[in-house]
Amino acid sequence: MITRYLASVTTKFNPFTPGAKTARVFLANLPPNARQNMQINTTVLPRASVEPATLDIKFKDGKEMTIDLEKMKINDVAVEVDRHSRMLQRQEDLSNS
Amino acid sequence: MPPRIRLRASQLLARPTFPLQCRYASTAAATTPTSTPPPPQRYPTTQPPSYKPPQFRKSQLHRTYTSLLRSTPLLLLFQHNNLKSNEWTSLRRELANAMRAADASNATHLADSIKLQVIRGSMFAMALRVVEFWHPETTGPSRLTHGLSEAAYKAAKNAQIKTELEPLLAGPLVVLTLPAMSPEHLAVALSILAPSPAFPAPRRRVNPGYHEPAVLSAVQKLMLLGARAEGRVFDTEGARWIGGIEGGIDGLRAQVVGILQSFAGGLAGTLETASKSLYFTLEGRRQVLEDESKPEGKEEAKEEAKE
Repeated sequence: MITRYLASVTTKFNPFTPGAKTARVFLANLPPNARQNMQINTTVLPRASVEPATLDIKFKDGKEMTIDLEKMKINDVAVEVDRHSRMLQRQEDLSNS
Repeated sequence: MPPRIRLRASQLLARPTFPLQCRYASTAAATTPTSTPPPPQRYPTTQPPSYKPPQFRKSQLHRTYTSLLRSTPLLLLFQHNNLKSNEWTSLRRELANAMRAADASNATHLADSIKLQVIRGSMFAMALRVVEFWHPETTGPSRLTHGLSEAAYKAAKNAQIKTELEPLLAGPLVVLTLPAMSPEHLAVALSILAPSPAFPAPRRRVNPGYHEPAVLSAVQKLMLLGARAEGRVFDTEGARWIGGIEGGIDGLRAQVVGILQSFAGGLAGTLETASKSLYFTLEGRRQVLEDESKPEGKEEAKEEAKE
């Protein structure tokens, strides 16, 4: 997963629900220096909470992405994020050359 | 040499008893009916047979985790998001220092046994199933009572039954194990590993080592998921609630004693009320009678004085 173009990640989940696994694995896939390069806000909800898990991603160009954790697994999330990141990468390559 | 004649058991029993002149070892062994001996043990007592090959790393992890789960009354579960090795070492150093300080203030010796240990989620889940669902002392007589035995495997195999902790056991995980139920140590550990308004991190002036960049970034990457205390599963708030028990286990005992004492006092008071009210009634009646008799006596005395 390309994480270079992420500006902020906001997630909120109840770890006892199945939807939380995707959000947690997404956080685990971010690189070790992620906290220096982007804003990461994590809220762990109590066990009794029925609030659905949310994962909001903001890119450096301002695009916001809200991931539906009910349907998408981590591989689907990675595909979705990479699609936009690759576009930003191409733009960067073109502007540099 | 004595005659080597094989005799059947029925023939031996039917034989008339007569005093033998001499007994040979071979015949004597044949005449005594022996009970069936237990089948010979074909493995050393320290290495009972395992269901899965014991030399595998997984088997040994399973063994370690069952032993860990059985021996820790209090366990905190964290997710670790890509900590670097220097961050791990500095975090463990700060935790050990804080635990030693907590030991000194509570006069305990737990610091050396409180460990932050990275676990394999799936193996931990299997070990947890064995610990929760397999009870060799109740299931029946079995010679093999260790967690790697076939009986343990079969008891834990049923995927339909889930443990409460199972949804948490995915992704990179680390457990903090405490060898005793000590809310004081838990409170200190929470303030180091997962600071919150209830358990604030140590101030820079008090503990400058905690404010090193490696420790701070390590704490940022740790995420408290839940806790397992005395076999029950708690969420983050539950873990903080356990840490917030004032005075630890002794404080709880004092609370129970207080409740029982107040209850006993109330009961004694209730039982006393009947006799007390009877006493007051009788006393009141006696006073009324005395008051009735006294004025008459006084009036008589006055009349006598007038005359």
